[in-house]
Amino acid sequence: MELKFHIVSRTNTTHEIMISFIVNGTNVKVDAEPDAPLLWVLREHLKLTGTKFGCGMGQCGACMVHIEGKTGYSCLTPVSAVAGKSVTTIEGLAPDSQHPLQKAWVELEVPQCGYCQSGQIMRAAELLNKNKHPSREEVIKHMSTNLCRCGTYPTIIKAIQLAAREA
Amino acid sequence: MIDNHDSTDRKRTPGTTRRTFIKQTVGFTFAIGAGGYISVFGAQSQDSAPAGSKAEPLQANIWVTINPDDTIVIKFAGTEMGQGSMTHVPMMLAEHLKADWDKVQVDIVKVNDPAFGNPIFQNMLYTAGSTHVMIYGVKMRVAGTQARKLLKLAVAKHWDVDFSELSTEPGLVIHTASGRRISYGDIVAQVDIPHEIPEVDESDFIPETEFRYIGKQVMRRDVPAKTNGTALYGMDVQVPNMAYASILRAPVEDEKPLQVNDSLAKQVNGVTDIVVLPYGVAVVGSTVEATQKGKRILEVTWSETSVFRGISSATSIAEYSSSARDLNTDAVAWSSLGDAKGTLAQASEIVDALYTTEPAYHAQMEPMSATASVSDDGKSAEIWVGTQTQSLTIIGSAEALETDPANITLHPLTMGGGFGRRSRLRQHYVDDALFVSRELKRPIKVIWSREDDLKSGYFRTAVAQYMRGAFDEDGKLIAVQHRVAAPAILPTMNKHRWAVNKPKDVITMLGSENRTYDIPNHLAEHILQQRCCRVIAFRGVGTGYTKFAMECFIDELAESKKIDPLEFRLELCHNNPRMSTLLKTVAEMADWDTKRDAGIGLGLALSGYHKSLSAGVVELSVEPDSGRINVLKFWAVGDPGYVVAPRNTEAQLMGNIIFGLSSTLMERIQIENGVVQQSNFHDYPIMRMNEVPAIETRVLSTDNASSGVGELGMAMVAPAISNAIASLTGKRIRHQPMTPDIVSAALRG
Repeated sequence: MELKFHIVSRTNTTHEIMISFIVNGTNVKVDAEPDAPLLWVLREHLKLTGTKFGCGMGQCGACMVHIEGKTGYSCLTPVSAVAGKSVTTIEGLAPDSQHPLQKAWVELEVPQCGYCQSGQIMRAAELLNKNKHPSREEVIKHMSTNLCRCGTYPTIIKAIQLAAREA
Repeated sequence: MIDNHDSTDRKRTPGTTRRTFIKQTVGFTFAIGAGGYISVFGAQSQDSAPAGSKAEPLQANIWVTINPDDTIVIKFAGTEMGQGSMTHVPMMLAEHLKADWDKVQVDIVKVNDPAFGNPIFQNMLYTAGSTHVMIYGVKMRVAGTQARKLLKLAVAKHWDVDFSELSTEPGLVIHTASGRRISYGDIVAQVDIPHEIPEVDESDFIPETEFRYIGKQVMRRDVPAKTNGTALYGMDVQVPNMAYASILRAPVEDEKPLQVNDSLAKQVNGVTDIVVLPYGVAVVGSTVEATQKGKRILEVTWSETSVFRGISSATSIAEYSSSARDLNTDAVAWSSLGDAKGTLAQASEIVDALYTTEPAYHAQMEPMSATASVSDDGKSAEIWVGTQTQSLTIIGSAEALETDPANITLHPLTMGGGFGRRSRLRQHYVDDALFVSRELKRPIKVIWSREDDLKSGYFRTAVAQYMRGAFDEDGKLIAVQHRVAAPAILPTMNKHRWAVNKPKDVITMLGSENRTYDIPNHLAEHILQQRCCRVIAFRGVGTGYTKFAMECFIDELAESKKIDPLEFRLELCHNNPRMSTLLKTVAEMADWDTKRDAGIGLGLALSGYHKSLSAGVVELSVEPDSGRINVLKFWAVGDPGYVVAPRNTEAQLMGNIIFGLSSTLMERIQIENGVVQQSNFHDYPIMRMNEVPAIETRVLSTDNASSGVGELGMAMVAPAISNAIASLTGKRIRHQPMTPDIVSAALRG
């Protein structure tokens, strides 16, 4: 999803604190407290709800986004920490959402409830950015930050390996 | 409440011609009666159509509408939580209609209309208990076949040919003799449709050999949106003028806020209101983070008078255990065959064992959330929520607002995991949103934190089970008594369903009946206990622990006679060919007869869930000092009858095994003095990718009616593990979970 406009959101404040950063290639300015978690700024200020809330303490990975190309837990990242930086969410991972990982996820029917999958895909994308042909062990080590209650782990591994082959 | 039609939506229905339209009004619907005839009720008026009017869609029956442009809308009466029914069940109608699935749009039923209900659940719309394919599959076949027959009858009349000369190909009715063909859309646009919905029987059904979708790889409809961030979950809803609410809840059930100091909370930038509720305090504001901050700095004094303050899960389990062992307690028979008590009373030797189970948490990835917009007069509401039940959410919300269910408009959304957690009549996160919205007269989105989800969670109950068994002189197992000491769960979930079913509680007792083994005397009974925490259905419901007890006990019985557990089960399944096949299959997959190296043991267990069966073998080692269990491999085979969706069935079986491993090896909820001790994933860990052992699954599609797969295989994991440890060490761990502390204590003792 491409944001084509300048986004400003207002809170019930007596003073305006505008924080500027880049989301999925678009400049945004948000009126948020400096310690507002990036997760809620993305989801509720900017209405990019593809990034999910799972635990709020960096244990589940559902909130993962890319900050300057590296995965970060948006639930633990205050929005002030990304001022001037580039953030990528699941919506902006690839044009038309046709990243090799997204295509592999669809081809192998990876998601069940699907709630963890945005975070899983963002985490996997970081892996393939660094390591084009990860071994199974490298995949597992990298991906173990992300919980899945439905138990899609074996299919996630296969999808990452498929995407690596096809990319 | 019946509302299939928007009053402005003019649909054609059987009984109309091209030039006559029945004006649809709210309350006008069709029901398919036993004979397949239309029952029409509600107000209707007739308009004559102006000449040259456009064709209208054809609602062939309550489930399917065919549009003049060949597109088709099929209704789905359930909700999607990852089990795949939203694709597979409508797909079954498309199959029997011989429709082109690519032209089908699925429409979720949003109203509490018993015509769409599940008879197992008093004709409510309720997606639970792995019942959707089993119950609605039959309806889909009938509805699809009726619609197809209706189209053929219309064409037969239109072309003046015999019905028997017509055939269908996907989306087409064909008269081979004359070479004519007409698409379903053109039939709707051009042809008079007969008045009656036709009766159908076996001879009208498409044979399995012609299936294009059922049993084949058909992509689940919800998958693409779940890979690109566009799938809309309950927590994702955005409603104009919406405010957020975070609720500080009492630490112990049933307690109330007595004193609230919100002076600091009100000063948080973005906090706009504080609403005191009977059970907690809502911090309302224009951002989620403001409400969370405000909630953290509220100062509240709670009533501290709840009876739950004196309750701990450990003490309760000890009490359940005493009750389970005490044969003189009152008990409600859940299932009874022969005379187990009498036979056991006369037996010279009894094998007996007590099994205990701690509470567990669903740990679904999406915490609870609901959005509600209550009208100014407080008597109607619009609700957006991920729910397993359209009906109970509508009825429960009406109860909460003390209004008529007809005044509730529900938007059921997909769920980030259900597993039973979202299946209650009164869903407290919905109540939260309703009460705060009613007070503030604006839409409110309530988001529970993960801590809320645990501390105020509803759990798989604690249980104690006492098993007793006896053999005859020939060494044949002739009696088993299965005593389940546990709270009643159903009355706390849905008092209406309990009123119909009491004193039998299916949620507590499921799986304690014996449909597997040839045991001539069998009694399963429920010894009612006080609950030690909030309780609700959990994935597998009762089978999660009833199969644990039974499958561990079968191994103990086998051991008492020095018989191999596989051989013992095969003998008892001598007139259960489906289960025999599963046992032999999994034994072969696991090389059951091949002795493992020292320190490695195998354990076997099976499970049935309604008509879906499974068997499993685990291979593991255990470190006696730490109590750590290392699962090396798990083999699982499932038979859910005729498999509707092969890839999804494998995925569900795999998911169930991982769920069962995680639950058995890692998970417990502890209550002390009424307070849930766990709070997030750091102290309630669930299995990570690097902790998953090798798992091999196989699905057998058999010539039996299709049944559910959402809970297939879960219940056999724990007993397989306990059986493997016993085979390896000689010590039985009769407890769920088998965390290292439990295991090391058992191995020492």
